[in-house]
Amino acid sequence: MISVQKLVKRYGRGGSGGGGELAVDELSFEVARGEVVGFLGPNGAGKSTTLRILAGFLGMTRGSVTVAGHDIRDASFEARQRIGYMPEAVPLYPEMRVVEYLSFRAELKRVARARRAAYVDDAMAKVNVTDVANVVIGHLSKGYKQRVGLADALVARPPLLILDEPTAGLDPNQIREVREVIRGLGKEHTVLLSTHILSEVEASCGRVLVIAKGKLVADGTMEELARKRRSSGANLVVRGDLEMARSALQALDGVASVTSTTTGESHDLRLLWARAIDDSARLRATEQAVSAVVRAGCLVREVRPERSSLEQVFAELTLGGEHAREDDVESSEAANEGS
Amino acid sequence: MKSFWPIYKRELFAFFVTPLAWVLITVFLLVQGMHFFLLVENFANAGSAASDQTPVQAFFGNTILLYLVLFLLVPPMTMRLFAEERHSGTIESLMTAPVSSPAVVLAKYASVLTAYGAMWAPTALYLVILQRSSDVDWGAAASAYLGVFLVGAGYLAFGLLMSALTSSQFLALVLTALVVLGLFILGVGEFVTRDGTPMHTVASYVSAWAHMNDFASGIVDSRRLVFYGSCIVLPLFVTVRAVDAWRWG
Repeated sequence: MISVQKLVKRYGRGGSGGGGELAVDELSFEVARGEVVGFLGPNGAGKSTTLRILAGFLGMTRGSVTVAGHDIRDASFEARQRIGYMPEAVPLYPEMRVVEYLSFRAELKRVARARRAAYVDDAMAKVNVTDVANVVIGHLSKGYKQRVGLADALVARPPLLILDEPTAGLDPNQIREVREVIRGLGKEHTVLLSTHILSEVEASCGRVLVIAKGKLVADGTMEELARKRRSSGANLVVRGDLEMARSALQALDGVASVTSTTTGESHDLRLLWARAIDDSARLRATEQAVSAVVRAGCLVREVRPERSSLEQVFAELTLGGEHAREDDVESSEAANEGS
Repeated sequence: MKSFWPIYKRELFAFFVTPLAWVLITVFLLVQGMHFFLLVENFANAGSAASDQTPVQAFFGNTILLYLVLFLLVPPMTMRLFAEERHSGTIESLMTAPVSSPAVVLAKYASVLTAYGAMWAPTALYLVILQRSSDVDWGAAASAYLGVFLVGAGYLAFGLLMSALTSSQFLALVLTALVVLGLFILGVGEFVTRDGTPMHTVASYVSAWAHMNDFASGIVDSRRLVFYGSCIVLPLFVTVRAVDAWRWG
């Protein structure tokens, strides 16, 4: 449905010859028909720029983009007819009534006169704005405006929906409502939505593309992303000789430090791995730690691994650099494959 | 061009739904009504011997009021066309719909032109009133309205261009006012330069004052038609290019 190849966008002077600010840097990805894909990245990563290029609002500096089989440079018109785009700011004409606005948009998007009213009613029903159909848009609350924007995107029943931060600025209840609407849309449309909120992707997307500084840094399902979660250490609660347990643990390969606190007869031991390790390495390291403590003659009461949250994975992916991960070869290869 | 019609309708709606439109129309009709009243009174008191002009000629030609009105009307009418949409971001949803740049530009232009025509339409009543007490040269009247339409259409085209060049409505207003004023002042040059100098030739060619005198007397000069045709087509063409530029740039 969408194919992006080596997309480059540079703002300002210089064009392709250098200079100016590089917003999108050799970005490549594909979105297949029927997918709901989350486009994830911190603010300023190039999400909106990429979506604007896909929607035909911005030109690109280099690369090629095909939407529904139409190159957006050569056949921008045909491509735009197949896209329902909701810009980040959800711009609407404040002086129009909801139903007037949607009819105008439907006419603009070439919905035949005979079907227009039905399409508008249908779109309003899908996003639950039928009750404000005759309200002037300028008087609507933010949540309603957001949903009118969503209705605008889908009024012409395009096969592809591109939604730029559809839940930005909403309260938690409205976010839940909009997410439910989006999940429903996934049944009939291919959806590409951008966000900087991880739980958003978890809630509504089958696949996630993570971009940072204009580059794709991860591409996969949520489970694949979760597999990148790493562990920095473990907590053990043991009973027995503290010094024996400590020295046994310290002797282990891959353990950087052991700290302990004693409460009553049990000792809390906190180990830190020499470096952050992925899930399979974590399991092996935990096994070794437990057996070392047992061999030292202690009894193990509790083992709690410390795992990074999805938020931390996101931070590591998008900030890059610091947490160099040699054992990551496998997963980063998988990411490249998808692009 | 299929997208012309919905955009045209929306633009007209957006113009007439604002209080600004009604303020402009009211001020315009008040000024024109006063102008007409004073003219008729003057003609009635002075008698036919006092002037070699007809009231229609005096109403449309040889009067500062026409330009004053255009100077006050055109900039606020055109300032919002593109600047407002760019400022509020609605341009993004407009241009990502399957529309072509020329269709958007022409639809917006046609809508202000229609609004401009609607402002002048009630003044036709003055002619009907005149006809009750004297003869009206309908040919000259038609030519005068053609002149009014052409001058206005040229100014509106410049206004549209200025609105596409900036996302600030105020700046669009000021720039348009400067262009209208500049053209007028250039035209006045006809009266202050010596006959035969290049400056005089240029000034007389762009002088809306002289053009309106011709039109008001029923003279439709093809040079004027070409001049105002260029004043319409050139800004519109540049506007289309400007829209494409900030879209694909």
